[in-house]
Amino acid sequence: MATNSTLKSAALLDQMKLHLSTEAGKQLTKKIPLVYQFNIAPKKIGINEEIFTVDLKKGEVTQGPFEGKPDATFSLKDEDFVKVALGKMNPQFAFMRGAMKIKGSLSAAQKFTPDIFPKPSKM
Amino acid sequence: MPSYIYIYIKIKEKKKKKKKSCVGDMAMRDLVTGGAACAVPGSSSSNNPVASLANNLLNSSSKTQDRIKELPGTTVTGGAPDFYSSTADPTTLLPGSEQDFYHDHHRPLPGSQFLDSFRSGDHHVGALPDAWNEIQHHPEVALQPHFAEFDRIYDNGAAIQPAFDGPPQRVLSSFLHSFVESSHAGIPFHPTMLPALGLSQGDKQCIRDRSSIMARHFFADKSEDFINSQVNALLHSLEIDNDFRAKGPVPGRFRELEEYWNESQGTLRPGGPHSADGWVAEYNQHAASRGNPEAWIHSFEQQHGANGWVSEFEQEQMQMTSIGQMRGANLPSSAAMEQTRMLAHTLAQNDDPKFQNSKFLQFVSKMSRGELIVDDNQVKSAGESAPGDWAQEYQQQYKEAPNSWADQFVRDELSHGTERWVNEFSAGREQHGMDDDQWVNEFSKLHVDDWVDEFGHQVGEGAFGESSSDNWATAYDEFLNEQAAAKQRSDSSRAVYVFSDVNPYVGHPNPLKEGQELFRRGLLSEAVLALEAEVLKNPDNSEGWRLLGITHAENDDDQQAIASMMRAQEADPTNLEVLLALGVSHTNELEQAAALKYLYGWLQHHQKYGTLAPPGQSDSLYYADVARLFNEAAQISPDDADVHIVLGVLYNLSREYDKAIASFQTALKLKPRDYSLWNKLGATQANSVQSAEAIVAYQQALDLKPNYVRAWANMGISYANQGLYEESIRYYVRALAMNPKADNAWSYLRLSLSCASRNDMLEACDSRNLDVLQKEFPL
Repeated sequence: MATNSTLKSAALLDQMKLHLSTEAGKQLTKKIPLVYQFNIAPKKIGINEEIFTVDLKKGEVTQGPFEGKPDATFSLKDEDFVKVALGKMNPQFAFMRGAMKIKGSLSAAQKFTPDIFPKPSKM
Repeated sequence: MPSYIYIYIKIKEKKKKKKKSCVGDMAMRDLVTGGAACAVPGSSSSNNPVASLANNLLNSSSKTQDRIKELPGTTVTGGAPDFYSSTADPTTLLPGSEQDFYHDHHRPLPGSQFLDSFRSGDHHVGALPDAWNEIQHHPEVALQPHFAEFDRIYDNGAAIQPAFDGPPQRVLSSFLHSFVESSHAGIPFHPTMLPALGLSQGDKQCIRDRSSIMARHFFADKSEDFINSQVNALLHSLEIDNDFRAKGPVPGRFRELEEYWNESQGTLRPGGPHSADGWVAEYNQHAASRGNPEAWIHSFEQQHGANGWVSEFEQEQMQMTSIGQMRGANLPSSAAMEQTRMLAHTLAQNDDPKFQNSKFLQFVSKMSRGELIVDDNQVKSAGESAPGDWAQEYQQQYKEAPNSWADQFVRDELSHGTERWVNEFSAGREQHGMDDDQWVNEFSKLHVDDWVDEFGHQVGEGAFGESSSDNWATAYDEFLNEQAAAKQRSDSSRAVYVFSDVNPYVGHPNPLKEGQELFRRGLLSEAVLALEAEVLKNPDNSEGWRLLGITHAENDDDQQAIASMMRAQEADPTNLEVLLALGVSHTNELEQAAALKYLYGWLQHHQKYGTLAPPGQSDSLYYADVARLFNEAAQISPDDADVHIVLGVLYNLSREYDKAIASFQTALKLKPRDYSLWNKLGATQANSVQSAEAIVAYQQALDLKPNYVRAWANMGISYANQGLYEESIRYYVRALAMNPKADNAWSYLRLSLSCASRNDMLEACDSRNLDVLQKEFPL
């Protein structure tokens, strides 16, 4: 496995990793040169979180916390991360509902939008 | 005093305390008087008749003081008693009622305020209308939360039950508060000697049950032993045996515990939550969504807009106030009775059962019937003489300078866009007929962005960065998580097939045959209807369900596909096509464990490869084991396309896309005309960012099956992932034209529209207006 995680989010983040190597992905790093850290919990925020770093400066997705200070850190549940990444839940709404917690720069967080993620194709 | 305001003030007060050396009371008064520290008493209300009335009344704080000193929980008092004794000048006494005493006494912590909100929310039926009234008119026309006082007076003074008389209840209440506080401090709670409280068995049981539940909330991060010792300390102090199991009725006296309990269970009582509970629940939701000042306004406005009694209520209440104003001059009791009769009548028209039973209403009715009279600002029972301590009680309550909290409220709210919410409130009031659901929706739409932004700024500035907001957030998270857990339960049972509302094929002589024919011709949405008719007719027809599932999958609706396939599997647990389809659909939904289970099931039930699978457990499957078994199977019969297909799906699951692509390509050599196989290849290539290749594969699939909605949608995804949004839109629209129920495609279309800066088409997208979209984006 590309990453040894069974989270749904991990599947999306793996695709993100590949996506960042494409032309469209490189555009993204120019547009949003920020570092996001995602703390993703299987069921409940704060419990058994797996941490992923989406470094749009370097165009990398890595497992584990960012060494340094990420521009914004998001904490959410696996389910909600998928909803947000697939455009089924507005990040602002997720934040308002308490489904997503944000640390760090808010203006950086606001650049986190569903369209930065590649969408999975279906078999 | 409305708890919302109260809490808000408290938060502010805490901040001010840091800056000023004045004790809490001063800070509080700063808020009232506009910041002039230690202002001359009374100056803020010189033009306020009610305030001057209040000033006249404020001369008996000592009694309350004495009682306060008796209270337990003095570990955190600070200098509170001293402070109170220094407020000999009645006008410096602060607004609000005893809750203020409690808070100052106990060094308020957000948690206890939180709890208080429940309690006071429950009592202060009239508080919010007053607040509204304040804002709308002028501070001079101050109307005060008499109701709460009345309610309490009645409660204390009715003297029906001797056990109910004031002090024990208060002792208990403050004792419970100190318990709650200890939880926030995280310190062990020590038993305290309490006067005899005369608790009934039911009361005790209630306290015991609720306190242990609350403790588990508070001490979620502590050990079970710690929780138990906390609870035991509490119960011991109250002389409650932690073991006994009284099954008496649960009395409704311990509001704060009860409300917290209700809230923590996430049960907003269905049907008709009575006003106060409704507020509390709403308040909790909204206020907890990070202290947004507008949120509760909405909740209030809608709640009371719906009840429609606010305006009458406030009028009547003004009259009530005028009764109070005529202190000394005895109001002709007939006139008073007339007024109260009107008031009682008005109130009685509110059909809320809780309100109907409220003590305030009873109080008013009694007044209107002449059973109670207001004499020299004392409420007296007409029948009995010797009103006793409750009348004094009333007087005390009444003297608490009722106008000043309103001033605070006005001032605090001014900084939060009073204008806007006032307008909104009046608008909201016009929508009197709205029922609860509607207004909840309404609320969720309202100005979400605005205040999220605003809140964001505040957070950014650290305005809420203190522990208070964290505590709130924690409490709210707890609530949300519980709700989410409840929702998850319903999600896990969601694999329930949803039938179309109108189905012309119901009654068709042979819907299965019709469905198969439609499916073959590629009319997927029609085929769905025919097949639905079939499975309605023959719910145990595995083939009907299977084909329905396949149709949904091709129609790009995995949820329905899974639901149908589950039914197919129920009817025929060993059908390999069904097992494979379930494996594929769950893979698409990124549900790894479920997908693995079905793919393994495929192997188990396969005539040829079943022997490879070790008998028994399929609960704890490891991906590596399953993949190994399939590789073995592929070695046994390298010409079986199906094995390669399953392998391809498995490699998708593990995101080893290169291997998956190889497997599908092998399978395609054996089955070159399997359009779904071409689509699988394309999807895999797309997911491993080989978009150009993917589009070729999709095109193959579409050549074989032009109405393959999934392939059209996948085309759109591939273009979108390459940043070719305009192209992607055309493909999404095409897919949607064939199946307008493909929800995924709708949300992807929306994203592509924004990314392509085609916001002009968002409305068409939101209203699902395919005519407009097809015209704008022809393929």
